[in-house]
Amino acid sequence: MSSEITTRSGADQIPVARRPATTPPPRPQTWVLKVIMAATGSVFVAFLLFHLAGNLKVYLPDDPRLHFNEYAHWLRGLLNPLLPGETFLWLFRGALALCLVLHVYSGLTIWVRGRRARGHHSRSINGTRHHLIGRTMIFSGLIILAFIVFHLLDLTVGRGVESREFSSKATFTLPEGGSVTDAYANLVHSFERWPVAVFYVLVMLVVALHLSHGIWSIVNDFGGTAHRTRTVFLFLADVIALIVVVGNASIPIAVLTGGITL
Amino acid sequence: MTDEKMRLILEVWRQDGPRAEGRFETHEITDATPEMSLLELLDRLNHKLVEEDVDPVAFESDCREGICGTCGLDVNGVPHGPEDNVPACGQHVRSFKSGDTVRFEPFRAKAFPVIRDLIVDRTGLDRIIQAGGTIAVDAGTAPDADTLQVTHDEAERALDFAGCIGCGACVAACPNGAAYLFTGAKLAHLALIPHGKQERAKRARSMVAQMEHEFGPCSQIGECALACPADIPLPAIAVVNRERIRAGFKRKAN
Ligand code: HEM
Ligand code: SF4
Ligand code: FES
Repeated sequence: MSSEITTRSGADQIPVARRPATTPPPRPQTWVLKVIMAATGSVFVAFLLFHLAGNLKVYLPDDPRLHFNEYAHWLRGLLNPLLPGETFLWLFRGALALCLVLHVYSGLTIWVRGRRARGHHSRSINGTRHHLIGRTMIFSGLIILAFIVFHLLDLTVGRGVESREFSSKATFTLPEGGSVTDAYANLVHSFERWPVAVFYVLVMLVVALHLSHGIWSIVNDFGGTAHRTRTVFLFLADVIALIVVVGNASIPIAVLTGGITL
Repeated sequence: MTDEKMRLILEVWRQDGPRAEGRFETHEITDATPEMSLLELLDRLNHKLVEEDVDPVAFESDCREGICGTCGLDVNGVPHGPEDNVPACGQHVRSFKSGDTVRFEPFRAKAFPVIRDLIVDRTGLDRIIQAGGTIAVDAGTAPDADTLQVTHDEAERALDFAGCIGCGACVAACPNGAAYLFTGAKLAHLALIPHGKQERAKRARSMVAQMEHEFGPCSQIGECALACPADIPLPAIAVVNRERIRAGFKRKAN
């Protein structure tokens, strides 16, 4: 191919741009960002399943309030006495926060680089639903980010968006003595506000979309090429997404319909 | 069958040069036939334009039988045309009905600047190959046939990935303008055969770096493998990360 291309009119004699192959690629390199996405995304998936297992204690037949609060209490004192007080809880929170910062930073960078490399052109949809879900990961992700802030203010910190009855004080007395925060009551009070319950349900649907594409991405980003591994991930992506959405979204619905009460 | 004539409206991208403004031009072809390839449809248009003393539409093609990778354009927004995994030269007018509008556009990606009309500069792909898509062997007398042993299955798998004809449709199909299918096909092919294994890690480092220099990230959308006329399978995109992660643990060239 010749590199000197002239135009019909002769008015535009500029040869096609040649980019030197020697300048370094953008840093951090995209493949590194993708591996970070996959690693932090995997941490979040594990966390979501763990979190879900705790949440589902609201369905225990006898005294769910006690079980739920005991679990919240257990979480706070995990690895005692090896680590004193709430040390583990804070390490856990720190690690998750670090993952979140890395995940959001990488996600935004990947999105911006993708938009730039495509240029100002549209793309038609030929493929599967992964086209739409995959292209909107940044938006589902940012909705989840907003939700994380809301969720922490609503049920952990209790500031701004919490229910009127919210209390972070140790008001629930355990049978073996001592008292803990009544996390169960805070949850029920919050979901008794129907717009909040609806919001939680909608966000869980968004989370399911993010997971159904995200878990499939993990196998690609860690370089999984074996047919069986890939099939398993493709299947797990939808199964885990379904479990997370059904399990979590059922709770606000159960509170609204009177299935879960104080 | 053959004397069945179709009327098609052609919207064709015209652009005088790399820096010129482009625009769509509308033409009518009244004597298209179903068995014409889409490139023959453009040939027909060009005959007509020459008769009318208008510059013909510039587009690329060579073998016209799906082996060279020279043809490449968007048809109604889809790289190569409506049929999956078929190059433009193998796509036919029978995909359309008489009266349809067929829109020809150059491949669209930041890394593929338009040269003229439907022709784009795809040398970005060449630069990825230059960065490491080669093997070092003594050229001279041919070695004995059995000095390097490759099993039949491995040879077949390597050949599946070697099938890439370098057309660039994967990039034009990708919402991120990524060249993962192209790069992954080459990395996979060379990682499977003994000649390529010598510089496996070095190749992964340099090809991925060059790829990232001009092309986008992969978000597992999957459009590339549907557009690819060489049927390169989607796992090729995972090969890029597999090879690059592997190279991260290696100091040596292999
Ligand atoms: C519970 C929270 C979250 C979970 C479980 C989660 C999970 C995942 C997983 C598993 C992936 C695939 C990673 C890969 O590429 O291999 C992913 C991708 C992605 N996530 Fe998240 N994520 C969460 C929150 C967020 C947030 C808050 C953002 C905000 C920006 C975000 C943005 C993205 C983007 C943009 C991608 C796609 C990257 C690409 O195009 O390749 N995610 N997520
Ligand atoms: S991988 Fe397929 S679509 Fe991409 S350049 Fe090679 S032949 Fe063309
Ligand atoms: S012209 Fe050679 S592949 Fe189409």
